Amino acid sequence: MEEDFELLAKFKKGDQQAFESLVRKYKMAVFNTIYSIIGDAQEADDIAQEVFLKVYTKAGSFKRKSSFPTWLYRITVNRCVDELRKRKNKIISLETEFDQDEKLKLKDVLASKEGDITEELKRKELEDIIQKAMNSLPERDRIILTLKEMEGLSYKEISQIMKISLGKVKVWLFRARQKLKGKLSFLYPEE
Amino acid sequence: MSCKKFRVLSSAYLDQEITKDEEKKLLNHLKTCPDCARELEYLKQLKGIFLLKGKREPLEFFETRLFERIKNKAKQPIWQAYFPVFKRSIVVILIFFSLILGWVNYKKLFYHRTTEIISDLLVDEQSDENFEEELLEAYYGPLG
Repeated sequence: MEEDFELLAKFKKGDQQAFESLVRKYKMAVFNTIYSIIGDAQEADDIAQEVFLKVYTKAGSFKRKSSFPTWLYRITVNRCVDELRKRKNKIISLETEFDQDEKLKLKDVLASKEGDITEELKRKELEDIIQKAMNSLPERDRIILTLKEMEGLSYKEISQIMKISLGKVKVWLFRARQKLKGKLSFLYPEE
Repeated sequence: MSCKKFRVLSSAYLDQEITKDEEKKLLNHLKTCPDCARELEYLKQLKGIFLLKGKREPLEFFETRLFERIKNKAKQPIWQAYFPVFKRSIVVILIFFSLILGWVNYKKLFYHRTTEIISDLLVDEQSDENFEEELLEAYYGPLG
């Protein structure tokens, strides 16, 4: 965390390399967060660039009230929310329904003890299946699941990024998981 | 505590975000409630699904493209850089000015109307004098 503050301080003094270091450090996290929420790699790449552009122009206004990643995730999530709201006015269809083959593949992997997938192609297919399940969830659930499951953030960090209470993080995550479970109901035996 | 509350707790338990006391209560409940125990297993499986989802690399030359954009932004004239912000506020500015214009015009119109009415009421001294003479002539015949 101190390292981030140091890099940011150097960048504020005009050191461009410090900014480049921050980009290199966080580009994967920013890109994957956006991709998981938006569901489209090309768009995620474009939005990730906009996020870093914003960091570049707004770095001066960053106060040490939160950690740098929290601030960065907040910008990222806000930008995703803007994008999803814009999309509401357009007709953009992301695939959300599973075919029989996809259901079987996911079942197979989860049934195997290690859940180990060595084949690159198989891994890619599975990632697409999971992304499909994410795409089918409402905006809020996608965001909270991404921050928790993909980025591994704590409840406290999520509450700061989404500006909600810790209690809400707990309940929203539970509900998001219930919805995801509903979408993947083919994995579970009838109750 | 109801099963629903224990299920919310189960979700937080998997994230290691519950207190020792809550954990103790939950584990005791799971011993006696097979439904909640099964739910916890499902949640574990769901969490496992995300482990299958690896991290992706951004598209090629991410940094090169980004620094190129930054360079272009620096070259941009100031008005272009602020145009998106200006575009949003232009509507507000237009409404504000049309309100001011409307108010000024209304004031002008009001002024004209009042001055017209007042001028109608104003009595010209000359015509007043003539009127008096006409009146005297009517009573006493042509004067002098």
